[in-house]
Amino acid sequence: MNYLFHILIMLCIYGILALSLNLLIGYSGLLSLAHAAFYGIGAYASTLLMVKLGLNFFPALILGIFISGSLALLIAYPSLRLKGDYFVLASLGFQLIVFSILYNWIGLTRGPYGIPGIPRPTIFGFEFNSITSYFILSAGIFSLVFVFIRHLCQSPFGRALKSLREDEIAARVMGKNVPLLKVWTFIIAGGLAAISGALYAGYVTYIDPTSFTLDESIFIITIVLVGGSGNLKGPLAGVLFMIILPEALRFIGLPDTIAPNVRQMIYGLLLILLMRYRPQGLAGEYRLE
Amino acid sequence: MDNRKAILKILNLTKSLEGLKVVDSVSIDIARGRITGLIGPNGAGKTTLFNLISGLLRPDKGEIWFEDKRIDTLPSWQIARAGIGRLFQDIRIFRKLSVLENILLADPNHPGELPLNLFFNYRNIARIEQKHLESAEYWIEFVGLEGKKDSPAGSLSFGQQKLLAIARLLAGGHKFLLLDEPTAGVNPAMIKSLLNLIQRIVKGGKTVLFIEHNMNVVLKIADWVYFLDEGRVTSFGRPEEVLGDTEVRKAYLGV
Amino acid sequence: MLLQFLANGLVTGTVYSIVALGFALIYNTTKILHIAHGAVYVFSCYIFFTLYRILHLPLIFSLPLGIISGALLGIIMEILVYRPLFEKNASSGVAIVSSIGIYIFIVNLIALLFGNETKILSPGIEKTYEFAGVILTRIQIFEALAFIIVFALYIILLKLTNFGKAVRALADNPTLLSTLGVEISDLKIWIFALGSVFAGISSCLVALDVGMDPNVGMPALLVSAVAMIVGGVGVFESAVIGGFTIGIVQNLAVWQISARWQEGITFIILILFLLLRPQGLLGKRTRVEEK
Ligand SMILES: Nc1ncnc2c1ncn2[C@@H]1O[C@H](COP(=O)(O)OP(=O)(O)OP(=O)(O)O)[C@@H](O)[C@H]1O
Ligand SMILES: [Mg+2]
Repeated sequence: MNYLFHILIMLCIYGILALSLNLLIGYSGLLSLAHAAFYGIGAYASTLLMVKLGLNFFPALILGIFISGSLALLIAYPSLRLKGDYFVLASLGFQLIVFSILYNWIGLTRGPYGIPGIPRPTIFGFEFNSITSYFILSAGIFSLVFVFIRHLCQSPFGRALKSLREDEIAARVMGKNVPLLKVWTFIIAGGLAAISGALYAGYVTYIDPTSFTLDESIFIITIVLVGGSGNLKGPLAGVLFMIILPEALRFIGLPDTIAPNVRQMIYGLLLILLMRYRPQGLAGEYRLE
Repeated sequence: MDNRKAILKILNLTKSLEGLKVVDSVSIDIARGRITGLIGPNGAGKTTLFNLISGLLRPDKGEIWFEDKRIDTLPSWQIARAGIGRLFQDIRIFRKLSVLENILLADPNHPGELPLNLFFNYRNIARIEQKHLESAEYWIEFVGLEGKKDSPAGSLSFGQQKLLAIARLLAGGHKFLLLDEPTAGVNPAMIKSLLNLIQRIVKGGKTVLFIEHNMNVVLKIADWVYFLDEGRVTSFGRPEEVLGDTEVRKAYLGV
Repeated sequence: MLLQFLANGLVTGTVYSIVALGFALIYNTTKILHIAHGAVYVFSCYIFFTLYRILHLPLIFSLPLGIISGALLGIIMEILVYRPLFEKNASSGVAIVSSIGIYIFIVNLIALLFGNETKILSPGIEKTYEFAGVILTRIQIFEALAFIIVFALYIILLKLTNFGKAVRALADNPTLLSTLGVEISDLKIWIFALGSVFAGISSCLVALDVGMDPNVGMPALLVSAVAMIVGGVGVFESAVIGGFTIGIVQNLAVWQISARWQEGITFIILILFLLLRPQGLLGKRTRVEEK
């Protein structure tokens, strides 16, 4: 049973990551390799606020969202000036710089030693310390995020994003403030990724930089592309597939020594095959630019 | 020139693309509330001039003034919000979005496109959306696309796409319209109603600048005509005068 | 001390430059951000390792065979993955993601076969030489010599041969090329082969020096990309300028700050260049930015 709840919590955490990255990939057409950086910024920001300033989980979470959302401006700016491959490189650079800071700014983050003993969230004296209660918390937060994103995508804002994804020139001539729309997408995507970070930190109660690497960014991109981007069901299909696949592999009895590599090889192969035969993913609408 | 003040003034505009002077010291005044035609051979620089006006290109030299406001340094979206709308030569509808969504995107200054408003000014946005929906229904009916409201715009026939682009432009409520070859690819019956439409909206107070290769159309609806050749304005006047000009006939009509 | 760190920087720069030349060759001609260049890099040195340390072939055979195997892998990638995408007119994002897919697949295959631990190619202490107070190991000198030879040959190839002419034409004006009667798909095969050879040379040299593990490809790829941007996209030789810049800056960072910040500094350089000088040090002013 615990195992099941563990999987469900992971689905919630990665669900938020995938839905938020989808805003960038599927709605703004920006292939960002920096999503794990925002995930990490959220995890570290909320953790440090809890551990160093003694804040409760929920205020720390909210502040973490704002911190990550503001730092997203750092990558939003290059995105306005750089197209295609150059933006991919800039996001890659951002990811590696953030990782380098998490890893090397030992005074703040304890670097490779990580931060242990992160307190569990509490609300009105109730502590979410059993896995069942943590699942309920995660599911609640995930649902809020989902409703938020759906509202956003169906709003005039979401419609404007879709228009510039299709034809940026026409959108501009129709009065769409393209730079501002993109900046907002980054702020929102970065802020939402921070929620996953805080949830993750509160769940495992220990974080270190290795959870927020370039590989993790690539993993989140894989989720979004496998499921498909440009709508909400695509990324969610991707999360289901990508989180359950490793468990399925475990059930067919793949030895633990080779399982991680085999899993990664499957991901790699999936990306190649999808790009070739089904660039919109399992259930997406948008094809990468 | 009419007594009324020009709505758009272009002064000495010059633009080179890849070493070629595509627009060369062009000065133009567009009379408010009139229909002005812009004619010239292929590659004369007409579309480029539109790109300069709508802010997609920056001039090398010269100025563009729209009603007391200098616009040649503004980004496209601000120019659109100032009141300049455009029909593209290559239509540029949003093919994957529905007909309705295309038209709902017409408002150049929709407050709901700012996320903060969505959450802090929700009531107001909902009201505006409702108004836009009603007006979208009106425009869809206006161009006869009722049955296609929810179809992706890319699935329409070419003529219907053009109508959609026109409906989208009109729904934007701009006071100054740039039309790049509005009649190209439209069947003759439709051309007639299109011209009626243009004349009607101009009577309603709007100003139109249009690029056209069909001289009958120019003669029929234009109040004024500019002739552009190799990036330069070589003739200006009433349609009959310009089309009667021997230089123009030589350069353009080959007679 | 400064001199020693500069010398180290230059030597690091040689191996960076070699792998970056390959990456830039492929990017400039095919416009593919060839992330899987990192996989070729890993693959070559592992084949080299297999031949040299497991099958005990002499260095003189195993080293070139390792490099050639990388070239073959590069060709396979082009034919099996990139060419179909090109024929479908796929976007650059699709190519990048496919390339990431190849990278993940190959690197994990290698990790599966060889394990994740570091493999050493030449155990024991390297012989060192001293010039004017600067100490270099034998392999470092070897790296520098290899660079000089490789770079000289590459320049000759680019400037004086028909292949070089075709390559430059493909970068500047691909449509012209097909009218010249050069088969672009054949040319690309050679380009991937040559680009991958560069990756192989660099990785085998580095492997001889410090050994290898399955994850050495990504840092090499990242350095290549940064070197290309710093040097200037569109100019084939410029990756060398970028490679040396990074090599020197990294070693000065080790000296003045700490080895830990090497990577962070490299990517700050990348971002600064992308924003402030996207054409790089030598690049032509191209349309990097949005219209
Ligand atoms: N982005 C560009 N880069 C380089 N040259 C361009 C560009 N856009 C247009 N041109 C050139 O500028 C000239 C003018 O083009 P423009 O599209 O303005 O002509 P036009 O008058 O609209 O012609 P048509 O009647 O065929 O639509 C042409 O020679 C064209 O090749
Ligand atoms: Mg034109």
